[in-house]
Amino acid sequence: MSRRYDSRTTTFSPEGRLFQVEYAMEAISHAGTTVGILAKDGVVLAAEKKVTSKLLEQDQSSEKIFNLSDNIIAGVAGITADANSLVNYARNQAQKYLLAYDDDMPVEQLAQRLCDLKQGYTQYGGLRPFGVSILYAGFDDHHHFQLYHSDPSGNYSGWKATCIGNNNGTATSLLKQDYKDDIGIQEAMGLAAKVLSKTMDATSLDSEKLEFATITLDPRTKKPVGRVFKPNDIDRLLEKHGLAKPKDPEAAAAAATSAPAQGEAMAVDS
Amino acid sequence: MSDITTLNGGSCIAFKGKNCVAIACDLRLGNQALTVACNRDKVFKITDKTYLGMTGLASDVDTLRSAFRYRLNMYRMKEEREIEPETFAHLVSSTLYEKRFGPYFIEPIIAGLNSNNEPFIAAADLIGCLNFAKDFVVTGTASDKLFGMAEGLWEPDLGPEELFESISQALLGALERDALSGWGAIVRVITPDKVIERTLQSRQD
Amino acid sequence: MECSFGITGKGYTIIASDSNAARSIVKMKTDEDKQKVLSDHLVMTYSGESGDTLQFSEYIERNLRLYGIRNHVELRPRAAASWIRAQIADSLRTRNAYQVNLLLGGFDLPTSEPALYWVDYLGTLATVPFAAHGYGAFFALSTLDRYHRPDMSLEEGLDLLRRCINELKTRFIVDLGTFKVRVVDREGVREVKL
Repeated sequence: MSRRYDSRTTTFSPEGRLFQVEYAMEAISHAGTTVGILAKDGVVLAAEKKVTSKLLEQDQSSEKIFNLSDNIIAGVAGITADANSLVNYARNQAQKYLLAYDDDMPVEQLAQRLCDLKQGYTQYGGLRPFGVSILYAGFDDHHHFQLYHSDPSGNYSGWKATCIGNNNGTATSLLKQDYKDDIGIQEAMGLAAKVLSKTMDATSLDSEKLEFATITLDPRTKKPVGRVFKPNDIDRLLEKHGLAKPKDPEAAAAAATSAPAQGEAMAVDS
Repeated sequence: MSDITTLNGGSCIAFKGKNCVAIACDLRLGNQALTVACNRDKVFKITDKTYLGMTGLASDVDTLRSAFRYRLNMYRMKEEREIEPETFAHLVSSTLYEKRFGPYFIEPIIAGLNSNNEPFIAAADLIGCLNFAKDFVVTGTASDKLFGMAEGLWEPDLGPEELFESISQALLGALERDALSGWGAIVRVITPDKVIERTLQSRQD
Repeated sequence: MECSFGITGKGYTIIASDSNAARSIVKMKTDEDKQKVLSDHLVMTYSGESGDTLQFSEYIERNLRLYGIRNHVELRPRAAASWIRAQIADSLRTRNAYQVNLLLGGFDLPTSEPALYWVDYLGTLATVPFAAHGYGAFFALSTLDRYHRPDMSLEEGLDLLRRCINELKTRFIVDLGTFKVRVVDREGVREVKL
C-alpha cells in the first residue's frame, strides 16, 4: 500500500502522511540519545556517542554538540553528515544576523531559520529531508535562557527539558518525573547524566561515550558562554554524581597526580 | 579637505617591544573640522592577543569591523582555535584587495603576539599591501607626525611599561600637531599573560 | 538649511527637528514632520536630499515594522541603528546613494538606558549623549558641550533644547521657525510642545 507514496517526499499518502518525512524521523530514533535541560541559570546538553572503538582515532572535536554562535549551542541526533551541513548553515545564519544587527541572534529565530530550510525538503521534489533533529540551547536578552527542538518536518517547539534519539520515551518520562521548575544548572547537569545512564545500554558511563555542554552567564561580564566539556571534565562530573565506572587502581593513581586546570575545575564544581 | 580618507580624522600607532607589543589610537570622530564624538575607539580586539586598528572613513571602519568579526567567528568555530596574527594580517589584506577597484577607504594596522608569544606588527594600505615592520607602524591623519615621533622615541627591546611610556608619548606628541585627531587616546600593551589597557586624557581642544 | 537635535538625559531621549519644507530659496510648508516613529521606543529624524529622505525613511519604517510582526519583538535601538547604518553604507557604493542624515533616539528596555545615535549619509554611526545635524550643529554643539549632563531631568533637558534653539534665533541668519519635539522614555514616544 504505502510503496506508491514512498518514493517522493512531496506526495501525500491517502491517509494524509508524508512517508519520507516519517522515515527520516525513524532514522533519528535509532541515533544516540541527546538530552536538553533548561535550568534557571543555564541550559545543559548531553549526548550519547554511538560510535566508539578502541581503533578509532581519539578526536578532539565533538561530533554531536556544537557551538552555533556566542549565545547558542546545539545538540544533534540523526545522520551526522546531514547534521554537519545544518550546523554550518546555522553558524552562517547566526553570523549574518550579527552582521546585520550588531546583536546576537535570538535563539527562537535561529531555530526558525533552520526549520524554514528543513521544511523546504518536505515540499520540493527530487530531494530527501534532512535526517536530523536538533536541540538548541541559548540565551538572548528578550527571553533569557531557552531550549528548542526541531525535527525533519520543519516543526519546532520550546521545552523545559526534552530528549531526542534512541530511547527518548524512557528519557522523557524520567525527565517528567525529576524536573523541577527552579532547577539549577548543577542539578540539571546531574539529571542529564542520570537520564543518559538509564537510557544507554552500557552499565557505566565515561567520557568516551558521552558529550556534555552548558550555556551559562559569565558572572563578571553577564554575557552568555557556551562550553563544550573536555573528556576529563565529563569524567569528573560523572564521578561527582556517582555514575562513573569503577576505576582500575592504575588509572585512579594517574588521575590523582594530574591536577585539572583551574578554570575547568571551577566550571564543574562551583 | 574633502578627501574622503581624512574626512573623519583619527590616528593609530603600534610599537613592537620585547615579548610584547603596544597599539594605541585617538578617540576623535569628526566631520571635517567639526567634532561629532570623542568616544571613537579605533582599535578592535581580534583574539586575546591580537588587536586591529583602523583609521580612515569611519563608515568603512564599521563595515570592516563587522565583516572581520563574521569571518573570525567562523574561523574560530571551524578550526576550534584562535587565529594567528600573521594569518589575520593576510585575511585583512585579501579582504581589502577584494575591493581593488572600489576600495574601502581605511588603512589598518595589526598588533599581536603569536602562539609562541613572539611580537608581531603589520600595516597595510587601503588595497591591502602588507608592510611587516620590525619596529613600528603608523596610520591616520597624524601619520606623518607619528612617523617623526616614533622615529625619535622607539627603541629596541622595550619592556611592557617602557613600551607603554614611549608609545604614549609618541601618540600624544603627534596629536598636538594634528587638528583632526585627539580628544583622548587609548593605549593597549599586549603581553603574554595580560593586556594592559589605559585611557589617556590628552588635550581637549 | 535643515536642522535637528538629539539630547539624552536621565531615562529619556529628546528628538527635535525643524518643520520647514523648502525648495531652493522658497519655503513651501512650515508644518512638515521630519520624524518617523519606528517602534514603541524608537524615533528617527531625517534630513537631506528631499526625494531620498522620504523614500529611505519609509523603507526603514516598513522594514522595522515587518521585523516586529515576524518576530513578536521589536529591534532594540542599538540593533535598529546598526541595521539602518548598514543600509546607508550599502547604498553609498551604488550609483545613486541615499543622501540622508539621521538621528535615532530610543529607550532600551532590557537595560533601561536611553539611546541616541548620530548617522550621516556616508553610513557613519556614532553613539553620543547629544547630537545635531545641519547648520545648527555649528551653533549648538558648544552650548550642548557646556550645559549637558547625563543625569538631567526632562525639564532640564527641554530647557537645554530651548537654549540651543534660542542660540540659532540670535546668531543664525536664517529663521528655522518652530521645532517638532518628541520624547522617548520607558512609557514610549510622545510629542511635546516647547
